[in-house]
Amino acid sequence: MTQVIRTDRRAFLIKSAALTGGLALGVRLPEFAQAAINTPQGPELTHWIVIQPDDTVIIRIARSELGQGSFTGLAMLAAEELECDWSKVRAEYADVNEHVRRDRIFGSMSTGGSRGIRDSQEYVRKGGAAAREMLVAAAAKQWGVPVSECSVSNGVISHEDGHRKTTFGKVAAAAAEMDVPKEPKLKDPKQWQLIGTSPPRFDIPDKTTGKQIYAADVRLPGMLHASIAQCPVFGGKVKSFDDAKAKSMRGVKKVMRGEDWVAVVADNWWRANQALRQVAIEWDVGENGNVSSESIMQFLRGGIEAKDVPVARKDGDAEQALAKGVKIVEAEYYAPYVNHATMEPQTATALVKDGRVEVWVGTQNGETSIAAASEAAGVPLEQVFVHKMHAGGGFGRRGPHQEYTKQAVWIAQSMPGTPVRLQWSREEDIQQGRYRPVALVKLRAALDEQGNWTAWHVRQADQSILITVRPTDIKNGVDPVNTRCFSDNPYGVANFTDEYAMRNTHVPPGFWRAVAHTHNPVFRECFIDELAHAAGKDPYEFRRPYLQKKVKDLGVLDAVAKAVGWGTPAPKGVHRGIAVVDSYGSFTAAAVEISVKDGSAIDVKRVIVAVDSGYVVHRDAVKAQIEGGILWGLGSAMHEEITIKDGRVQQTNFSDYPLLKLAEAPAKIEAIIMPTGGFWGGVGEPPIGAVVPALCNAIFAATGKRVRSLPLKHHGFSYA
Amino acid sequence: MSRFGKAWVRLSENPRRGQPVEIRAMIVHPQESGFRLDDVGRPIPRNIVQRLTCTYGGKEVFRARLHPAMSTNPYFVFYVLAAQSDDLLFEWTDDRGDVATHTVRLEVSD
Amino acid sequence: MIDGAPPACTGRRNALRALAAGACLLMVRPAVATPEELAVAIRELFGDRAINPGRINLEVPRLAENGNIVPVTVTVDSPMTEQDYVKSIHLFAESNPQPRIVDVELGPHNGRPRLATRVRVAISQHLHAVAVMSDGSLWSTAVEIEVTVGGCAP
Repeated sequence: MTQVIRTDRRAFLIKSAALTGGLALGVRLPEFAQAAINTPQGPELTHWIVIQPDDTVIIRIARSELGQGSFTGLAMLAAEELECDWSKVRAEYADVNEHVRRDRIFGSMSTGGSRGIRDSQEYVRKGGAAAREMLVAAAAKQWGVPVSECSVSNGVISHEDGHRKTTFGKVAAAAAEMDVPKEPKLKDPKQWQLIGTSPPRFDIPDKTTGKQIYAADVRLPGMLHASIAQCPVFGGKVKSFDDAKAKSMRGVKKVMRGEDWVAVVADNWWRANQALRQVAIEWDVGENGNVSSESIMQFLRGGIEAKDVPVARKDGDAEQALAKGVKIVEAEYYAPYVNHATMEPQTATALVKDGRVEVWVGTQNGETSIAAASEAAGVPLEQVFVHKMHAGGGFGRRGPHQEYTKQAVWIAQSMPGTPVRLQWSREEDIQQGRYRPVALVKLRAALDEQGNWTAWHVRQADQSILITVRPTDIKNGVDPVNTRCFSDNPYGVANFTDEYAMRNTHVPPGFWRAVAHTHNPVFRECFIDELAHAAGKDPYEFRRPYLQKKVKDLGVLDAVAKAVGWGTPAPKGVHRGIAVVDSYGSFTAAAVEISVKDGSAIDVKRVIVAVDSGYVVHRDAVKAQIEGGILWGLGSAMHEEITIKDGRVQQTNFSDYPLLKLAEAPAKIEAIIMPTGGFWGGVGEPPIGAVVPALCNAIFAATGKRVRSLPLKHHGFSYA
Repeated sequence: MSRFGKAWVRLSENPRRGQPVEIRAMIVHPQESGFRLDDVGRPIPRNIVQRLTCTYGGKEVFRARLHPAMSTNPYFVFYVLAAQSDDLLFEWTDDRGDVATHTVRLEVSD
Repeated sequence: MIDGAPPACTGRRNALRALAAGACLLMVRPAVATPEELAVAIRELFGDRAINPGRINLEVPRLAENGNIVPVTVTVDSPMTEQDYVKSIHLFAESNPQPRIVDVELGPHNGRPRLATRVRVAISQHLHAVAVMSDGSLWSTAVEIEVTVGGCAP
């Protein structure tokens, strides 16, 4: 069902009346193949792919590159089916404004939840396959032969007579006129030649040479720079401010305010920030000026002790089984707020002119950015143009929360025609985060005479993120995201109850890389280690019977156990810990080897993480995600903590919110990539889950000290 | 205690007899939908503005029945044909039975 | 939508109103992909009366970053005379916890058949508007709105 379209990329006109009926009934063209149109770049073979006369293949990417490699991975998916010459492929972001004008043809732009590849793989591959079929059909038509007599490889279409050959570039224009196939045939994974390999990534060279332009690097003619201060107590407002001194400082152009912020605009960022520090701001801190980490802990404790609390899952009768248990193990675990601490602080550049808004931002969702800018400026979406930049770290900070985008637009709106680059200082970034929520959990379990695990009961008290972004997902008071790891745990124990006590504070929550699968795995996997210990059994052997039916969980657990040599003697002074966690559709396990000096200096000798994500697209990118995930886990476990005093965040910069240092990194990291096929799991977040519990379990093995709260530094530990 | 706050009404400029006047009317009210949860996960009781009526010189010219999907501080833009110079009386009523009223003079020129 | 079943009703915001008119068979036959509660609400208000696509236009932003304050504008093709005017306008959100949004009564005294307000949209969905005319006829339209929670939401 081809639409005849004018060759004007922006004016999307439908001419064929016969087809109007189909659209009027709401029948959309398959999402992988909206009608081909001619664009200034060249003929579109489906909206995903443009092929130029010189055989250059432009593949459009809807998701965001955050360093995780999806920019290249998504291109590989399309290219695999397209059968083009990979060396001729160029990836570029699908234009957000065009996406909106063309009725969201590029699908979801949301980059989070380890979804980039697994959620879009089918329609991106179909886009590539459809384009390939159109190209072959065009060549066949030109030659007057059946399509079945043609083959395609590496961007070259050949006829079986061995004489006729042509390239994609030569038939692209004709191919763009062909019907878009509704059900293009996808390759069987066994036939993949590109997917699963490690071609050079598109983003790495510029990132290595410093050429990469991030939102923070944008420089436009006449551009001004802004620094901002938001009320340090969340929910507070600006009461008054005295900008007399700031206004007189060198380079300062303007001081302006919003409801809960004050910003200084100057001719360079340093001057803007220095001047901002001279603005005397009086805050109306609102009702939360007395909140502290201690008061929050009390509040959570109320959730642990409350009588009637929503039930997330109930199997059998845990209470009864616990009453009958021969040995009862009970423990309380805690994890603090933590910050994303993206390397690039929140930054956005905006230009408002003649009712047109342009924004440059490193975003995890182009649509959220365009909607935020449109809302802030009060202009329709069609008037807003978002330039998606590679983000200097996303980790969940740059998706649903676009306050910096709005702030940049508000400031730019006050000086039409002048581009304004708003960059949050590091202090602002640390103190105005969207934090992984604080969590307190009480676990109880029963063992019988033989040391079999017969029952467990979990009471969670933590802060809901969903209630701030998608409250309709919360049913009967249970937050389905926060209860993961418990409500969906793989262990086959007949009696289990998971209760969820929501306890929301004024500290703004956000999705921190792996979300609930950063702290809940610690609570669960360390507690299971406690059970094993109480039963007098080896932690690895203890787990296995309860994972009988979970082949993939067992698969990764066995893989790391084997790789670390579990069951064979470790070198002297070296101790091991193990854990298994599934998340975001993938299965992971970790084994950690450490030695501890003087009971406190932890030398992490080896970390092995196995990941079964079903399929693997860019192998090296997956390896990097595993390696990065390990370092992420180790660093956060030891160092990261956000504390609250007088309603505000106490930490200010990397000096008091340290991340893992090079010297602290493990001597050896091993990534076991074991895709078993048949499903598509994510890779961005899963590798983190099992690392910290495995480390904590190793610490117990080494010192006899059971760590039940993070960060480790509070228990006297450090990395050697 | 009534949850109603201030009313805010603006009329388009220079209303002329026989021409529609644009009326923008807002009332401060939390419009608590009943679907929200408090800090400890308990539903916050519903209290929404149920009704807005507007009379012009005593004659009803606008009536709205609101449901929980109306945003906080319910806001309307509607039109009334300018006839005589007279009072526009706005009346909002919520679930609790509290009422807020506001009167604006519509001065009509020929 | 991309992530779910294709919508049975696709409204367009700009110049393609003629198409949008055709897109609203949804309203006439609630059996066609209309959520239960919406069908019930419509039956409550209008019984089994025929609802025709057309004459009413609904404008919403296509993407809403924050579903709490979504501006909505309704206009109806009507002369607003004593003989021919809009009697009432009704808005619905098919996927909200409760589908009814607002019901407004009008008359020839309003002069202009236009109404704007701000609504809460819980999730991406279609918003529907129905106009009841003085001659008893019913007219409807629907538009799609996407609430981009976006980002790392798992």
